[in-house]
Amino acid sequence: MKFTILFGGKAGQGPNILSTLLGQALINQGHYVFMSRDYESVIRGGHNFNIITFSDEQIYSNESKVDLIVALDENTVVLHKKKLKKEGSIIQGEGKGNMYFAGRIYKLLCIDFKILGEQLQELQRFEENIKDAMEGYQTETKSVCKVEINKRKLFFMNGNKGISDGAVKSGVDIYFAYPMTPATNVINELAERQLENNFVVMELENEIAVINAAIGSAITGAKTMIGTSGGGFDLMTEALSLTGIAETPLVIYLASRPGPSTGVATYTGQGDLDLARHSGHGEFPRLVVAPGDPVEAEELTSQAFFFSQEYGIPAIVLSDKHLAESSYTTNEIAMITLSKKRTELKRYNSYETDEFGNATENPERIIKNVEERNAKQKKINREAERFENYKIYGNKNSKNVVVSYGSTKGAIVDAVKNLDVKFVQVLYLEPFPEKIKKEIEGKNIILVENSATGQLAKLIAEKTGIFIDDKNKILRYDGRPFLHDELSEEIKRRLKR
Amino acid sequence: MTSKKPADKNLETGKIPTWCPGCFNFKILTGIKNAIEREIRNGKKKEDFAIVAGIGCHGKMFDYVNLNGINTLHGRVLPTCLGMKVGNPNLTVLGFSGDGDAYAEGMEHLIHAARFNADIKYFVHNNQVFALTVGQPTPTTEIGFKDKTTPQGVKFPPINPIKLMLSAGATFVARVYANSEQIEYIFREAMRHKGFAFVEILQPCIVFHNDKGYMEKTYSLDQVKHDKTNFQQAMKRAEEFNYSDVEKIPLGIFYQTQRKILEEQYPQLAELKRLKIGWKDIKR
Repeated sequence: MKFTILFGGKAGQGPNILSTLLGQALINQGHYVFMSRDYESVIRGGHNFNIITFSDEQIYSNESKVDLIVALDENTVVLHKKKLKKEGSIIQGEGKGNMYFAGRIYKLLCIDFKILGEQLQELQRFEENIKDAMEGYQTETKSVCKVEINKRKLFFMNGNKGISDGAVKSGVDIYFAYPMTPATNVINELAERQLENNFVVMELENEIAVINAAIGSAITGAKTMIGTSGGGFDLMTEALSLTGIAETPLVIYLASRPGPSTGVATYTGQGDLDLARHSGHGEFPRLVVAPGDPVEAEELTSQAFFFSQEYGIPAIVLSDKHLAESSYTTNEIAMITLSKKRTELKRYNSYETDEFGNATENPERIIKNVEERNAKQKKINREAERFENYKIYGNKNSKNVVVSYGSTKGAIVDAVKNLDVKFVQVLYLEPFPEKIKKEIEGKNIILVENSATGQLAKLIAEKTGIFIDDKNKILRYDGRPFLHDELSEEIKRRLKR
Repeated sequence: MTSKKPADKNLETGKIPTWCPGCFNFKILTGIKNAIEREIRNGKKKEDFAIVAGIGCHGKMFDYVNLNGINTLHGRVLPTCLGMKVGNPNLTVLGFSGDGDAYAEGMEHLIHAARFNADIKYFVHNNQVFALTVGQPTPTTEIGFKDKTTPQGVKFPPINPIKLMLSAGATFVARVYANSEQIEYIFREAMRHKGFAFVEILQPCIVFHNDKGYMEKTYSLDQVKHDKTNFQQAMKRAEEFNYSDVEKIPLGIFYQTQRKILEEQYPQLAELKRLKIGWKDIKR
């Protein structure tokens, strides 16, 4: 059983609240739910929609066709009716509030009204909402899907919640940020939790202030984290290089969206892998990790804290809007890697320094410092191999290998379910896992990436000498995430027997 | 050349200063070191202090004052100071910038630092020129100044940092001349102040901006019964010197007021201050 619902309307009409409400109700009943958000850079008006796909098996992505359209405005029908399956239906109600629609959907899906009532108690304007919801519930006469109650304990969370949980569980002391989609939810979430968990969250005047303040707090020994998206990260890169020479620990959450420049501000893309790996002038060690779901986001954030503290390096957690703001179903408990605070306040420098921390231009000393940084890189490489730095799914012995990283994981796992495919998900982009070469060598390698140039393919070529044929690169660069049914067809076309 | 082992007790780093012979930075350095040593004699520990300097001739202050801290990027002294204060609110954080550092590359931070009012002592070595890059105009260079980048002479009026800091809400705004006694005095006053202390040091550059004539135009605000609690008076005094025409240059504290400091605005930081610890000491 798989059922997909699209909720569309103007910004301000509340399609996101509506679908989140239903998603949570479905989760509480033991269903597996995946919900993505598509919204414009508009506060009131325009067109926003969410898509929920739910199933009695684990699901990590949406499909291209929908069973039900919930249209808060007429425009939703115009824009999306092509996606409706033959037997699909549309719920409309011009001028009605969003809880009217909630009532109708719950009735349609045979979810007890009591459940909706309990959920509404947690929102504002209960009286008004419950009245609207009841009206909707009584209006709806059809039933398109029987909702059974399963006794599974499941959680509904998005990637940014995973990053935030990871930071809190890693013992973050300070989080600095300047708001930028799609990283903003992390500062919001952490700000709300700062007093209860005793850490500090501060919004500063710009991203340059953010990273320099973070370096300041990091050298006092505080576990410090910052968050931004591509443009903000660009502003930070001079100071990223400073962390390289001063060897200060810092965790950086980089949540991508399509560039160049302002690009498509509220949509998704994986165009910043090269940026994460190469940003900052000069040569210095760093960690770049990319989670593919909220649990991995928690785990890899804790590993970023570990590496940054242990080795005094910047550690970048690379995500994107699709992972950051889509909601996933999880029943796993994240495996958190603990980290000690290793940094002492002493004399730090943006110059090369001698053994007393004083600036130096001495060539022997420069060589010594450079070689120490290189040696540290080697230690980091070895340590990284002790972690789960990539994952394998599907038929381990298949001739066909799909490679990817980050938020494409969900659609790929759903797409290759019934295919003869091995899926290699790269978790560590820097240092790059040594064993990847063996996993893909001699196979029919297919790349899936939300970018125009396939940056992971370039990285694989650099690290393994293996080139992926251009025809085998499945690239999407319209700002939208992959949908598993379409992706499955794309992969099938490239399979070898 | 590598340096000698720094002394544990005093402020010597063992590094021989590389400023030009006769540079006024020597006078600033002496004043600052005397002032810190006095604080240490009066019971403060060396470890209670932290120093942050930027890039430029002033930045070498870090090389010659043996305190914990960081010689950071050009223009980023203030956010770095803020971060250290948030990391451990018990530190006495001293920031040093040049006029390029403070008023060009780092201007946005300067305004916000005044707004945030963290307990940071900030000293700007203003020689009205980019000296370490051999003589280009900065935002406080006078109209008509000529060099290779502006052979026709500077066309734009300099900014007035004193007025700017008053407008931005700084709670302590002062100017001194690069003279060790004046610096010792103003350092003491800045230390007594609770909040962001902005101190501009007028510093002749003997190679690229030799303004020896400044000295005789200066006068002390103390001698004219200036009311440093009066904002309007402070603004008027600030306007007496526009960094281009040199008639009268007031020195001393233009303005001082009290406002809640950043460390008191966050209960988490207030608690660290009460316990006399930094986040480093928080076990989770």
